[in-house]
Amino acid sequence: MHPDDPLDPRELAVLTADLETVRPTPDPVFLAGLERRLQDGFPEADRARRAARAWRRLLLPAAGTALAAVVVALVVVLGGGSGRTDRSGSVASAPALAQDETAAPSSPGGAASSGAAVAPAPTPAPSTTTGQPRRVERSASLTLTPEPADVQQTADGVVRATQDAGGYVQRSQVATGDGGGTATFTLRVPSARLAEAVAALSRLAPVAATSQDATDITAATASAATLLADARAERQALLRALGRATTDRQIAALKARLADNRATIARRAAALDALRRRADLATVNVLVEGREGAAGGTHGGGWTPGDALHDAGTILQTAGGVALVGLAGLAPLAVLAALIALAARTARRRRREAALDEFRLDATRN
Amino acid sequence: MELSQRQPPSDAFDALFRDAASDVYAYAMTLLRDRAAAEDVTAAAFERAYRRRDSFDPRRGSRRAWLFGIARHAALDELRRRRRTASLVTEPPDDAAHDPEDDAALRRTAVRAALAGLDARERELVALKFYAGLDNAEIARVLGISASNAGTRIHRALCRLREACHAS
Repeated sequence: MHPDDPLDPRELAVLTADLETVRPTPDPVFLAGLERRLQDGFPEADRARRAARAWRRLLLPAAGTALAAVVVALVVVLGGGSGRTDRSGSVASAPALAQDETAAPSSPGGAASSGAAVAPAPTPAPSTTTGQPRRVERSASLTLTPEPADVQQTADGVVRATQDAGGYVQRSQVATGDGGGTATFTLRVPSARLAEAVAALSRLAPVAATSQDATDITAATASAATLLADARAERQALLRALGRATTDRQIAALKARLADNRATIARRAAALDALRRRADLATVNVLVEGREGAAGGTHGGGWTPGDALHDAGTILQTAGGVALVGLAGLAPLAVLAALIALAARTARRRRREAALDEFRLDATRN
Repeated sequence: MELSQRQPPSDAFDALFRDAASDVYAYAMTLLRDRAAAEDVTAAAFERAYRRRDSFDPRRGSRRAWLFGIARHAALDELRRRRRTASLVTEPPDDAAHDPEDDAALRRTAVRAALAGLDARERELVALKFYAGLDNAEIARVLGISASNAGTRIHRALCRLREACHAS
């Protein structure tokens, strides 16, 4: 009889009956105990589930925190690295500039230049370690983008704001026409009122870009002052020598040196004054550029619902971008985790099947 | 017997237990040939099934087939666990000291011997077919093979069993 020979229904019925006679039956005591455990809801199983839930409760917040940290890191990295300028960022630049008045220095003697976006400029501390007052040359630049028709009005506003801050217009160039126009200004305002002036200018029209510099000129000023003091000391010495001179030749030589010394003193005093002026008066370069639709968002009045909608859109756009980047980062991890889970499942299944095959060998030996 | 899907989960599970507990034990005992191991597997199967009772999806098969899938995993896990500790020792037949004149007892002995002569996979197929009462499609799902493959394997196992019975 071959194993592949078909079983006729009669044989199958006999086989079924035979197998039924040898059907293993469980111990009633065992079944009763198992039923009791079932009625109790397998308390040990519940304990295991509770433990698993406790782990999940611990792990989920941890995983959420880690994810949030990743997202925040992405926001920081993307926000800091993009170097893009948007209107809302520029609007915030005016208060930022105002805060610079009290900011700490970053590198004495060095010049720091910010980009188009808001960036606090280094503001040196009021005095040096030697007790000399610190001298800082400061400058700022703004690009204002009113509607093309408002260029002239904005240019007038620039002049008014400068005068209100106690400054003056050093140079200006205004070109207006039917299609709009541009205006450029070089303003000098007292350094102490620079932030006030920049804030006033920022309110005239949407700010497309701002930047500011701060250069420490304390050393140069001190050096100029020393040179001037030296020249003055030399003058005193020459005058004393002239008082003691007895011959005409000596007197003539000393007078010639005194003349040279006067010129030196005048030159050095002028240099020192120039340095002091550079520290006392900040330079503000303003570019007024007429742009269609630029004033719709953040023109210096109030914060309108339109502005709110625009800002909300920007925030959503940024959040969407961050989420997309986060997902892009997580997707390979998810795929990897899925592959590992699949491999583990396959391996577990193979181990189980292998156990069955090995059991056959054991049973054969037995 | 299939349970009504309208029953609450706990009632349905109680009914499943009453309906299938003996069959799960019979399946495990036939496969493992060890009473203690079979009891462990039966208990583990119901415990796991109880724990996962919410994951049962009637669209993927009957509750009974789902239970036997779990029971099979429990049995194989028990095999692996015992392999790490000690080999299973097959138990002697219950009625070893039978009356030589009793034909029924002789026949039972012959069937037991024939069943013991099958390898584990064949015994499993027999147990799933006759003790679990699953059809070929359900057996295929439990074993993770195709229905036609399951049918072929069951047929071969039965033919070998018949052959072994005749030889005994």
